[in-house]
Amino acid sequence: MSDMHDDLDFQRSSLGEPGNDRSIPELNNSFQVSSNPKELKESDKALPTVQEKSMDMTEHSQRLAFTGGKEVFAPSEGPFEAPATQKISGSLYMEAEEIEPALAENESDLDTIGGKKNSLEDSFLKADIGRRDFLRLFGTGAAASVGAAACVRRPAETAIPFVNQPLDTVPGRPVHYASTCGECSAACGVHVKTREGRAVKIEGNSFSALSGGALCALGQGSIQALYHPERRSDPMEKSGSGFAKTTWDDAFKKIAGEISVGKKVAIFTGPSTGNRHTFFKEFLTKIGASENNLYTYDANPLLASLAAAYKMAFGRSAIARPDLRKAQTIIGIGSDFLDVGYSPVYFHKGYGISQNVTQMGTKGEHIHFESYLTLTGAKASERHVIAPGTELAVTLMLIEELLNSENVKGKESDREIARKLISKYKNNAPDAQDIESLRPAIKKTAERALRTSATAIMCGSTGNFDHNGFQLQLAAIVANCLVGSFDNVLELANGWFTPPVVPGDLARFINDAPNYDVVFFVDTNPFFTVPQKTGFHEAAAKLKTIVSIQAFPNETDLAATITLPGHHYLEAWGDESPVAGYWSFRQPAVRPTSGSRQAEDMLMWIAAHVSAPMGFENYQAYLKDKWQAVYKLLEDKKITYDIFVTLALRKGVFGKPDRVANSDMIDFVDSFNYTKAARGLILAAPFDVRLRDGRGAHIPILQEAGDSLTTVAWDTYIALNPGFAKNLGLRRNDHIKISAASGAEAVQSGLYPLPGLHPNVVVIPRGNGKAKGISKITDDLGVDPLVLVGGEIEPQTGMPITAGNVIKISQVGGKFVLAAMQKHNDLANRKDIVKTVTLEEVKQNASKQVELDKVPDLYPALVQGAYRWGMSIDLAKCTGCSACMVACSIENNIPQIGREQVIKGREMHWIRLDRYFEGPIDNPQVYFQPMMCQHCNHAPCEAVCPVYATTHDPEGINAMTYNRCVGTRYCANACPYKVRRFNWFTHAWNTMGERPMDRNPRALNPDVTVRTRGVMEKCNFCYQRIRAAKHEVEYLNQGEGGLKDGQIQTACQQTCPADAITFGDLSKDQSWVARNRKDSRAYLALGGDPEHKEYGLKTLPNVSYLAKVVNEKLKGSEPEHH
Amino acid sequence: MRILIPYKVKMMIKSLMFLMFGASLYLWAQPSYAWWMWTPGDTVDNSSQSSLSKGYKPIQPIPFSHVAHADKRQINCEFCHSAARRSTSAGIPPLNTCMGCHRFVRTDKDAIKLITQKTEKNEPMEWIKVNDLPDFVRFSHMPHVSKGVTCQTCHGDVQKMEVVEQFAPMQMGWCLDCHRTEQKKSHKTTLTACQTCHF
Repeated sequence: MSDMHDDLDFQRSSLGEPGNDRSIPELNNSFQVSSNPKELKESDKALPTVQEKSMDMTEHSQRLAFTGGKEVFAPSEGPFEAPATQKISGSLYMEAEEIEPALAENESDLDTIGGKKNSLEDSFLKADIGRRDFLRLFGTGAAASVGAAACVRRPAETAIPFVNQPLDTVPGRPVHYASTCGECSAACGVHVKTREGRAVKIEGNSFSALSGGALCALGQGSIQALYHPERRSDPMEKSGSGFAKTTWDDAFKKIAGEISVGKKVAIFTGPSTGNRHTFFKEFLTKIGASENNLYTYDANPLLASLAAAYKMAFGRSAIARPDLRKAQTIIGIGSDFLDVGYSPVYFHKGYGISQNVTQMGTKGEHIHFESYLTLTGAKASERHVIAPGTELAVTLMLIEELLNSENVKGKESDREIARKLISKYKNNAPDAQDIESLRPAIKKTAERALRTSATAIMCGSTGNFDHNGFQLQLAAIVANCLVGSFDNVLELANGWFTPPVVPGDLARFINDAPNYDVVFFVDTNPFFTVPQKTGFHEAAAKLKTIVSIQAFPNETDLAATITLPGHHYLEAWGDESPVAGYWSFRQPAVRPTSGSRQAEDMLMWIAAHVSAPMGFENYQAYLKDKWQAVYKLLEDKKITYDIFVTLALRKGVFGKPDRVANSDMIDFVDSFNYTKAARGLILAAPFDVRLRDGRGAHIPILQEAGDSLTTVAWDTYIALNPGFAKNLGLRRNDHIKISAASGAEAVQSGLYPLPGLHPNVVVIPRGNGKAKGISKITDDLGVDPLVLVGGEIEPQTGMPITAGNVIKISQVGGKFVLAAMQKHNDLANRKDIVKTVTLEEVKQNASKQVELDKVPDLYPALVQGAYRWGMSIDLAKCTGCSACMVACSIENNIPQIGREQVIKGREMHWIRLDRYFEGPIDNPQVYFQPMMCQHCNHAPCEAVCPVYATTHDPEGINAMTYNRCVGTRYCANACPYKVRRFNWFTHAWNTMGERPMDRNPRALNPDVTVRTRGVMEKCNFCYQRIRAAKHEVEYLNQGEGGLKDGQIQTACQQTCPADAITFGDLSKDQSWVARNRKDSRAYLALGGDPEHKEYGLKTLPNVSYLAKVVNEKLKGSEPEHH
Repeated sequence: MRILIPYKVKMMIKSLMFLMFGASLYLWAQPSYAWWMWTPGDTVDNSSQSSLSKGYKPIQPIPFSHVAHADKRQINCEFCHSAARRSTSAGIPPLNTCMGCHRFVRTDKDAIKLITQKTEKNEPMEWIKVNDLPDFVRFSHMPHVSKGVTCQTCHGDVQKMEVVEQFAPMQMGWCLDCHRTEQKKSHKTTLTACQTCHF
């Protein structure tokens, strides 16, 4: 018996994985935010303590047991060391675009790209023996072990059930909570999938009218921010040059003391459309300050400029809601509504419907004018490149041409204002001469805009907010009036967008700052997103006390006197009303994962400390009181208020759009001032599509997803027109410096020659270049183009002008290797990778069905199961937003590997986004192609595997059995699609916080195996979802036909905001995916040209693509007939 | 003087020497070998089929008796392991399930005192897993229970076990014994596909 006890002790000390799905400690499910800070702290602490304890034991014992105390795996510095800015010095590389010399030639150079040797490989060598010795030993060991007992003992795992199991929880089954995404002001409704109390995936809430079930890359990736090991759990107080921990009570008391002196308090916060700003105003009045002391700011200039423009043109605090579903023609002028815009998922959904190619060969038109390539412009059916800064001139010319047309729409009063505006600038328009050559195109655009019954004109982006940024929005309103867009496509009288910020607040704050003692910065980061020269930083530096409440440490925290860790939006209560009358609720989906607290609760406590209690127990109670107003929208009051709140939280959204009467445009022409655009080399600093203004920079999954157009990950690129770069003698990855025309400010990075750019524009995306000491991920990563920006503030919107700055280029010398995942730009004359058709061809082939599976071959027939899973991807719909890549990585526990390894081509994405350019380099056709395992019926990888680790499933899936794989990588070499990924390292999933990218085990999807070193992996059509759906059908006893088409959604399909991906059963004739496979546009990647009896590689994939529809076929893509 | 050794004996000695040489090499290389075999994230039982898995009988924090509950008092398995029918895992009952009866029954026993104490402190019980599959096996209880496979088929007569032990080897061959027969009967092609359990 005593032996057994010893046994037990040993096993206990070697506890198994804390990340194992069946052994999660969960104490209770109370989501109540307690009003008592002490109590809250106690309950918050309970969960992490249990986890930490078991983790320490695991690591310790595993290392002791198997490595003799030596570090073999999971070294403290992995492939993720902060991407460095060092470069290889050397002569100018020629032909750098075609080959990557560092990769091709000199391995030792590559090691020094980041300035450091790759430490993971180092650690491999640090092990007792070299690799060859070790392989030899392994061989003999294996031979000798025939009769010997094995030496490795299975570690015992514990099973830890709930103490009080919540009623809605079944261990092993997910619980979904409806909530609202808090990453940007768009406020998409989301469903948070939780397993045993841990959030594991965020998906769009299909009830949400804005997200429609989809989500962008940032929304998908925000789950990594929740479990980020660098989140703070204690309040900090400035002491000397650093920060020292303090207690909540001390922090509150100190702030309360400061407040009660002179009541000179202000709150500076981010965008919100719900009750948050109301609460802040109430707080300010309660403690004796004015409610005007609330300042709202979002770095996206579109929000403030649109709000200000509509205020001026219609006298209302509203932004028209572009319902792009109805639009037959979309005209974009310097617009990035699909990249960032102000509600990207909503725009994607509408755009997908507007630009859908029907079998009858109809499709919406999209004409785009822009100076630098965006995803939006890449998607347009017709794209014109204009000089930077001429967006307003183009819009005015469009207005002029619209007025010239006899079909011009809109009210007479509106037309009068338009005529007045044009006459003001007819003869003295500053940039009119520059764009005169565009007049035929603009004239044609005007005619097309008036020909169709529903047209929307979208103007302005995050990258071109110059001196005319506000006037551009006014001109857009006039242009939209003339095409009859209002209350047709642009909804202004029925469910308009609520402005999430008040225009002018930033400028007002810079003026008012000297009047304040205490300023709260809540969930906003102006210290990073406002350019230095605006005077914001100086004004803020004079403040006596800065209290920073942030979900994740940022630059504002560094400048603060006291920092209080706030909740991630998945832990918080809240609400948003993005569309007037329509509410989207936010409820906690997890208990706080760190020691953070709800920002509003902190303010309530501070109010209580200055003896001005808010009168509510907590913010949840406050919101419940406020939602009485939402309850009033309910016509049928058969349910009580409490039940209403429960149901509303369960559904996530409620309401019906507000309506007002149409109003006439106010004459604003007198206050319309056109400023002449700057000439020379102009900087464009748009938001990065994934990182936005820097709010996603600390999320490794977003850094690794890479920019869609350049495929550069983990870096800031400097993009130039390729011809222009060639004239300067510059090539890709040349280390260059961009400096302001006047002044010493400069940024340095690698050059990326990006087709489709105007020769006068230099694109440096924002988002990276964060201050040191915030996060290990962002340290030394990329550059911030805002240092090149002048300090001017646009008077009407109060926003810093971030575009139209003249800059200089100089060469630093040497290389700065950008971690671009795709090394080539063109299709290399392959006709069967991306296919294009014209609308005319679609019309001709309307009744035609293709038989992609009718390929002559000598193989025996495949075993056919009850289903044949297949996927179809519509290249006409895909916009390259990269949400699928992020969703796939989260769903399938795919590791992030860091910049060094991406340069070596070892990225692990199961689905990648290939992009190709075709046609003239100054204005190319851009193709995006999501590429994942094609699940070939005649798979080259299966034939070469020596251990049967990859086999063909009877249901058509190319299955990968990780535990069989010995890592020969034959399959990766055989795969013509290059979709197989090899694990070069075991990524430390189980050590939270050792390295910043190490995923907290709590964020892992417990339904998917975590792979280890030496194993090949690839897309498996989210088999866990297929199996779960099948089991559900069996459980409900629905029989064979129980599985409905569309019931199974893969992670990429589920999140695709453009609805480009279809998944389903190919063996059912009427399933969507089977119909798409028979569509006249359908083709197989590398499947040759079946019409002309050429069958390409004959791999017969179960993934088919629908050809991209183009206006005009380029010469290069004409099929050659032999 | 030359010793004549029959050919067979000579070969036996030779092969024995070869084996001994191999074994000594193996022992020498064992630390490295162990390191190779162990990878974090895996809980592979590298032992032979029966040495550790079948009959594995760990001591649990309290001497819970399935005999007393499931046999003598005829409490159904799914009364406590209620997730088995609708989830991947069968679920170990939360403490409040125990407390449903034991608030009143046998409160004088040490074990009951312990769980009462734990419930009051809101502390979970840490049971040692008896039937533990490697992490790369995605077993689910749901389809087995819905198809009418009894608990005893895989777990043995748990109601007769004073201390629960592993009844079956729970190795792949053992799983396939059933899956192959069932596939022949039902023509369900996926029953023996790799991806059914490994993904």
